[in-house]
Amino acid sequence: MNETYRVVTRIVATLTATAVVLVTAPTPLPGQGVVGEQDARGERSSAGPDLSPHSAAALLAENRSVGPGSSFTVGLHLTLEPGWHTYWKNPGDSGEPASITWRVPAGFSAGEIQWPAPQLIFFPPLVSYGYFDEVLLLVEITPPPGLVDGDTVRLAGRADWLVCIEDCFPAEAELAITLPVSDAAPGLDPMTAPLFETGRAELPVVDSTWSSFARFKQPWYGLKIDPPDSLIRVVGSDLPDVHFFASEGNVIEHAAEQRPDWDGETLVIRLARSGFSFAIPDTVRGVLVTARDESGAPIAAVEINAPVIVAGNPAVAPEASFGLGLALLFAFFGGVLLNLMPCVFPVLSLKVFGFVEHSGQGSGGAARQGAAFGVGVLASFWVLGAVLLALRAAGESVGWGFQLQSPLFVGVMAVLFFLLALALLGALEFGVSLTRFGESELVKVPSRTRFARHTTTRSFASGVLATVVATPCTAPFMGAALGWALLRPPAETMLVFTALGAGMAVPYVGLSLSPGLVDRLPSPGRWMETLKQALAFPLLATVVWLAWVFGLQTGVDGLAGLLGALLLTGLAVWVGARWGGFASTPPGRTIARVSAITIGVAALIVLVRAAVTAPEPESASGSESGATAWPAWSPPAAAEIRSSGRPLFIDFTAAWCLSCQVNERVVLNKATVRDAFRDHGVTTLKADWTRRDPAITGALAELERSSVPVYALYPGGAVDPVLLPSVLTKDIVLEALETYVPLQE
Amino acid sequence: MHRSRIRSHATIAAALAAVSLLVARDARAQAPGPTIGQPAPAFTLPDTYGAEHSLADYRGEWVVLEWLNYGCPYVKKHYDSQNMQNLQAEYAGRGVKWLAIVSSAPGKQGYYEPDAMNEINEEKGQNALAVLLDPTGRVGRMYKAQTTPQMVVIDPAGTLLYNGAIDDRPSSRPTSLEGAHNYLSAALDEAMAGRPVSVPTTKPYGCSVKYPS
Repeated sequence: MNETYRVVTRIVATLTATAVVLVTAPTPLPGQGVVGEQDARGERSSAGPDLSPHSAAALLAENRSVGPGSSFTVGLHLTLEPGWHTYWKNPGDSGEPASITWRVPAGFSAGEIQWPAPQLIFFPPLVSYGYFDEVLLLVEITPPPGLVDGDTVRLAGRADWLVCIEDCFPAEAELAITLPVSDAAPGLDPMTAPLFETGRAELPVVDSTWSSFARFKQPWYGLKIDPPDSLIRVVGSDLPDVHFFASEGNVIEHAAEQRPDWDGETLVIRLARSGFSFAIPDTVRGVLVTARDESGAPIAAVEINAPVIVAGNPAVAPEASFGLGLALLFAFFGGVLLNLMPCVFPVLSLKVFGFVEHSGQGSGGAARQGAAFGVGVLASFWVLGAVLLALRAAGESVGWGFQLQSPLFVGVMAVLFFLLALALLGALEFGVSLTRFGESELVKVPSRTRFARHTTTRSFASGVLATVVATPCTAPFMGAALGWALLRPPAETMLVFTALGAGMAVPYVGLSLSPGLVDRLPSPGRWMETLKQALAFPLLATVVWLAWVFGLQTGVDGLAGLLGALLLTGLAVWVGARWGGFASTPPGRTIARVSAITIGVAALIVLVRAAVTAPEPESASGSESGATAWPAWSPPAAAEIRSSGRPLFIDFTAAWCLSCQVNERVVLNKATVRDAFRDHGVTTLKADWTRRDPAITGALAELERSSVPVYALYPGGAVDPVLLPSVLTKDIVLEALETYVPLQE
Repeated sequence: MHRSRIRSHATIAAALAAVSLLVARDARAQAPGPTIGQPAPAFTLPDTYGAEHSLADYRGEWVVLEWLNYGCPYVKKHYDSQNMQNLQAEYAGRGVKWLAIVSSAPGKQGYYEPDAMNEINEEKGQNALAVLLDPTGRVGRMYKAQTTPQMVVIDPAGTLLYNGAIDDRPSSRPTSLEGAHNYLSAALDEAMAGRPVSVPTTKPYGCSVKYPS
């Protein structure tokens, strides 16, 4: 039915266009409705340039005559060659809307162009708003009162439009139309009426039964629309197929996903703030277009004028009250506490053993080692800080722990911890070091200076190692300092990273500088060997955890690949240690070493292959990770709960964040805590940052954090969120609920 | 023995740090775009004579980036009227390093082989310091270049000060230049006089940048 209708209008359009060309009589036929004077087609026959390439324009009138004082509608009808498009009033990322420069008789006025609902036109990474095939741009003309029956009225104008396929051509046409003045009621022109009827149907409707508002929190607008019941019936209760077209060009990112969703009977659309926006507007204006039928016509298009509510800043750790000094202090203590984190402790224990074994060699050596270790830690933190800054400058949305969002990094860490565990268990005895093949100095007795240089290098390197293994952990105090630092100028960010490194290095460096303390350490003995072996098991547990994270990121096949890589790593170590040591004859040793390296490389290849076979981001999302089975956080879900005034608790977590896992298992998932949330009527949501998710990075930035865990308690109403510490206890959570959220009646 | 062990671990750790760098770079999220007041994204591109230009080379200088596509009617407006060449010459005289960047993909509008580009530059009287070729569109995307023309201002400290339209007349008609307010020169003049840029971003207008499909 609709298709037939469009075919008819297409034929009518072609006929009218033909009429424009054919009518050459000096006196136009009144009532014919469409008369072109020097339009583009007329000029095309001359030798001049084609002024309207790939398109044609006609000025059409809906009525056959003009009545005195009664306004009427004309239309600029643009027809485009197949595949070509022209633009809406906001053309999107590029392009230009059509315009008409009117020349109308004195007393006449021409209104604004009334724009039919546009379509999305994709040229990744860019998106335009516009029309294909044809469009009728309606304009209301208001005549003056004193028109005389029998006169004629000539409306003229120059139309400018841009016609594009990917390349664009500016087009223009001089158009005119002459209509008789008649006191009689103006009749519809049967030739153009169907076209105008279709054109009107495609205009977005202004409907006061739709209410909307937009909540802005950098960098998103959460556009909430309450449509009348009729639309809900039309669109259905499934994921709505709608798109919001902003009227102004610098308000939203046109190409960004809008993720429309129903929240009850409210339609929630997420709009990304335009990178070219200068200020937040009072109102987000635009057109909401619902799903289209087979002919491409929208089922419904409605004007939206959503007042913007700018959300307040969080109450905790605002920039003003958290100066550089406090940030440095927090970072320093955060660094100190990092030493106690489960991922760092075994590695640092090794370093302390080093002291114990060499406590008799004089304090100078220890001090040098300590200094080298400290420099190693500091340098690593500087590198990390610089990488983080560089990535942020390049526009990446990353925060602390960002490395662990990459499966390859997680896999390599698993292999590293596995190797460390093997070393602690003594599998690398015989002095074979995978990285030292070919170095003949092993067989020599190192000279004293060389020895000193080696220990210094090693201390530096173990500082680097300690930092690398520390990256999965966020110590208390650290989150606040890092979150603050990443919002500051680069120099201050680096200062905070320096403080963090200094804090992490200080216990060890302090120990190395205090000969008295070193002497008080127990003397080496069998106990040390036993403790070393025992410390291998926390490391192996870390491998299990990393493998679990890797599995969440890459799926069961990826996990099998990682386990295969660990197997090969073990094989390489065994071959290297069994036959590559000094007990073997030189040729056999070489063969063993080459084999070990080959197997090691094979392990790496298996690992890389496993890491890059990541499943579809959506299908195996990390939402199942962690101990709490809470509903997944999303910006609309959170905004909706907050705007309804209900209290909300958000667990910002990640599979690779150990302290997150501990907090969830030991605190959040306990029955008493769950019951307390329920009794206080608090909705709980989990924002899982296991994979990179710019929305979560954005939400963290709003809370002035850049790492997980973050526990945000929104007490309800317009009250700003309360952030709980990154190491939770039941009492902390229960007390926060008692303090901030009244019990449900 | 244990010493060599620790050292070997440390070497692995150093290698890991390098891997993490590569990995983090590799795993790109949807970039929210360059940020006004933040360091301008670093890049290195060849010019039409094969010489490499890094943004870092121009530390200490005022830099203008101009996205260029000679086939685009909006660019033609500014070149046929000599508006762009005059701006380039005026600011070159004040020490500004003006780099035109072509992010058109091979086979698309505005892409020319270096020799052909040099001929057109000659013919148009191109006054930019260099015309840089970005056929992959990588640098264009880094700067969120949407249209030609699109203009960027970077201060001597490497901070992004302006990103957006050249002026307030989003039209390809030459007559639209009359009375236009030039955002680029306003931003440059303010910044070079030590004042904050009052309009640090505007929606750019013109043809879409012809990125690879």
